[in-house]
Amino acid sequence: MNLNLTLQLALSGFLLGGVYSLIALGLSLIFGVMKVINFAHGEMMVWGMYVAYTILVWTGIDPFFSFLVSAAILFLLGYLLQRIVVNRILDFPEAMQVLPLVGMAMVFENSARIIWGPDYISPQSRFSLSSISMGSLTVDTPRLLAFSLAIVITLIVLLFLKKTDTGKAIRAAADNRTGALLVGTNVDKVYAVCFGIGTACVGAAGGLLVPIMPLSPHIGAPFTMISFIIVILGGMGSLAGAMVGGFIIGVAESVGPELITILFHGIGLDLDFPNTMKQVVSFFILIVILLWRPQGLFGGRKG
Amino acid sequence: MKKLYILLLIGLLVLLLLPKFVSSYVLGVFVLIFFYAYLGQSWNILTGYTGMISLGHSLYVGIGAYTTYLLTLALGLSPWIGMWVGGLAAGLIGLVIGFFGFRFGVKGVYFVLLTIAFAEIGRLIFLHLKIFGSFQGLFITPNFSFVNFQFKENVPYYYIALGYVIFSLIVVRLIERSKIGRYMVALREDEDAAESLGVDVFKYKMIAIFISAAMTSLAGTFYMNYLYYLHPGTMMSIAFSIEIILRPIIGGMGTVLGPVIGSFLITPLAELSRSYFAKAGYEGLHLIIYGFLLVAVVLFFPKGVIVYIKKGLGPGFIFRVRH
Amino acid sequence: MKKVNRRTFLRYSAAVGATAAISGVPTLLRAQAPEIKIASIQPVTGVIADIGIAMRRGNQFAVDDINARGGIKSMGGAKLKLLLADTEAKEEVARSEAERVIKEGAICLVGPFLSGNAMAIATLCEQRSVPFVMDVAAADDITRKGFKYTFRVFPVSTNFANNMLLYMGQIMKEKNVSKFRAVVTNTGDLFGRVQAATFIRFFKEKKFPVEVLAHIEYPLGIQDLSAEVSKIKALKPDILIPITRPGDAKLMIRELYKQRVELQAIIGSGPGLYEPEFIRDMKVLAEYVMDNVPWYNPQGKMYKEVNEKFSKLFPGKYIDTNSGYAYLGVAVIVDALERAKSTKAEDLVAALRKSYFKQDLMIGGAVTFDERGDNVNADSAMIQILDGGPKVVLPAKASNAKYVFPMPKQLWERGM
Repeated sequence: MNLNLTLQLALSGFLLGGVYSLIALGLSLIFGVMKVINFAHGEMMVWGMYVAYTILVWTGIDPFFSFLVSAAILFLLGYLLQRIVVNRILDFPEAMQVLPLVGMAMVFENSARIIWGPDYISPQSRFSLSSISMGSLTVDTPRLLAFSLAIVITLIVLLFLKKTDTGKAIRAAADNRTGALLVGTNVDKVYAVCFGIGTACVGAAGGLLVPIMPLSPHIGAPFTMISFIIVILGGMGSLAGAMVGGFIIGVAESVGPELITILFHGIGLDLDFPNTMKQVVSFFILIVILLWRPQGLFGGRKG
Repeated sequence: MKKLYILLLIGLLVLLLLPKFVSSYVLGVFVLIFFYAYLGQSWNILTGYTGMISLGHSLYVGIGAYTTYLLTLALGLSPWIGMWVGGLAAGLIGLVIGFFGFRFGVKGVYFVLLTIAFAEIGRLIFLHLKIFGSFQGLFITPNFSFVNFQFKENVPYYYIALGYVIFSLIVVRLIERSKIGRYMVALREDEDAAESLGVDVFKYKMIAIFISAAMTSLAGTFYMNYLYYLHPGTMMSIAFSIEIILRPIIGGMGTVLGPVIGSFLITPLAELSRSYFAKAGYEGLHLIIYGFLLVAVVLFFPKGVIVYIKKGLGPGFIFRVRH
Repeated sequence: MKKVNRRTFLRYSAAVGATAAISGVPTLLRAQAPEIKIASIQPVTGVIADIGIAMRRGNQFAVDDINARGGIKSMGGAKLKLLLADTEAKEEVARSEAERVIKEGAICLVGPFLSGNAMAIATLCEQRSVPFVMDVAAADDITRKGFKYTFRVFPVSTNFANNMLLYMGQIMKEKNVSKFRAVVTNTGDLFGRVQAATFIRFFKEKKFPVEVLAHIEYPLGIQDLSAEVSKIKALKPDILIPITRPGDAKLMIRELYKQRVELQAIIGSGPGLYEPEFIRDMKVLAEYVMDNVPWYNPQGKMYKEVNEKFSKLFPGKYIDTNSGYAYLGVAVIVDALERAKSTKAEDLVAALRKSYFKQDLMIGGAVTFDERGDNVNADSAMIQILDGGPKVVLPAKASNAKYVFPMPKQLWERGM
């Protein structure tokens, strides 16, 4: 086993995990508070990417600054989406909740297409080619930056939820909606703000990803899936869980195929676990968690 | 109730005579309507009796198609026979998933994700199997004959697809009438009560998922011999699973006619919006409209369209899903 | 950023088409000769939409160009009308759309970019007895089903591989290289897999002096190639043979830069490495990348004429593999119509079968179909990005630049 290669894979996976965590963060809020599967999560992230891209092209401002604008715009979009659509479907059975968000995903995806075109765009920005050498390992600068900023954003969100009135109201409404209503909380507004923050997180994540991966209107769907796996793994509503879950999945997908191949060879099976099946690793983890610990690693009560 | 039956009979008669009056293209659209109605109906069996929602039903379509293909390849078996073997295989896989889901008490949103996980793993595995063409997909050689389930014209496909739909309606009716059905209905109405009365809830849920999976897979055989190309990326995808559940949900989940009505509404809509907007040169616009329509229909018809239709026709054939 | 001209053009021509379709009544302004309808069926929405749109643009441009030149002269100057269809990259939609345009009167179909879609359409066309010309679809299987109505102008995978070995052999000989240590990578889709597999097989069967250190595959639509490039770096190859799609091509180059992978050359085969968007986003990093692709003939008279008109109409775009073959597909149909002098399917198919369409738009000889419907004279060329644009470097007689090997500067030495 090539130790250096495995370390490099683990490092890349870890940094990528930071990115995944940020995406899952937003979902954790939405899922945790409103119990809604936001099937449009990935597509909204893509919108965040395009906003940052547009700012880069128009003003030259680097996405590592303009991600804040992405966050703001996505907050607005999320707030509106929640008030107009999601609020009405909160008590619907899951199946009926899935459809409107799937519909919105289609709307986001295809309107992005009409506005920005279907081509893959990989804009040049200040850090997109930068990397730091640490001996035989290479650290990808954009990923490192995204990773660091993700942690900062998480801390800010955590503080917001713990210290501010709105934050506390969100947590209250999450725990007990009826109770919150009785106390006079404007639950609708609280939910909308919560959804908005969730989508703001994902918008910020999108902005941070612009220097890292090529944009196209259709790259959203796999991100929706991965963020779900992470949120379940970490524990619904647990922000720390989303962070940890992100790292686990990031590393698992990177190093997983390699390790499983070694395992196969070790037990005498002449089979290679192909890289193109790396998602099986995350889905397998999802199944294990759903069966044996559905509250996730950090989740409080069951289900 | 009588009024409903008469209306259905008239509808059936119209459908039987339709091929004489419309073009091959329109028949093709009807084939899709029936195909999706059947799929929705099969999916509905799981939901209607267990309340569990699956977003991984495309897996069974794939199993059905690939099993049929394998049997044709290895034994020269006609798809008409092969499809039942496929049904058995899919049913067994359904039992595995059901076992995990029901035994471990996985419910609601978690169950949805469980089905997605299994379906995606299935898709990825099939994607890597050389015998099924791997990333190339499988190009089925057309050899038109009844035995081969392959036809030159759309008319035979039309009648077969219609047959599928009628078959699914009969199956559902039989379930309701049988002894097993009575327990399953009790399950649907109030699971806890049924359990306290000694009904083996787990057993009947397993029966439900077996039937649902097996029936869904029969459609895979049709798919294979209609499109002549199999690829896990399309046939076993989440997108296809979404298409499967769309019509029954919009039509009326848990109801017998819901999937059929839903399909009659949605499928032509998709066709029309695509062909109309393709001309305007705004590629993708039709998908935006489709998306908004999905949102609108769910917001304004949350219990499905069928609720509004049933008002004029009285009860009987319609039953409601449990909450 | 916005492609105003293209959209205006498409909107204009679509509006004209839409009005005619809706009105359904022949206007007094129309010429006496009836319109001949053919259909362009491409995946213009969905995962491969960027290329689907480029293909439709090529098909449409060809129709408009031929109409401007006088239409089908042997049929009284009859004009072509292009019906548009979108497969959404799905087989059932491809089939349904093909059915629709046939109902609307298309006597021949051209397209689509994806092989799976092509198969669904080919089957449908065989069932309805309507000729179908595939402009860009490489899967060999489609023409191995005994279809009588399907034709393909694009080269097949063995053709790609033959040319690849030919050109690599020439470079190795001229530069005195005895052996290459290579890593082959491919996107995990139909084209990528078949290409990679065929190359590796040919290297082995023909005892070619290329040692394949590893064959790395990754899923289509992948967003992160750091793991894969780590593996490549660890193997220390002389050359990289990537078979990519536009998205991962850019990722690959950036990742190679970031991880400082030293290479003598990047010799790819297929899309992703030559598109204007690739060069626009990669800038100097795109320089010296070689690609074995079917290409236009820069020395060709037909090419020069067509390209001039095309690039005037769509600033920033030029005739490339996709748009070139999209054009050629239509041109071959028109040539057959001229000889058939009829729009009946049997006559058109017979004429297509006998095609000997002399052209120097694309590299390769006159378009001629064998019994299976494949174009025997379709070739690929070795192009290289030099001075910010793709140049044909091999075969020498069609070239407009001399190839550069090895890369004089590694990716990170180029001042970016």
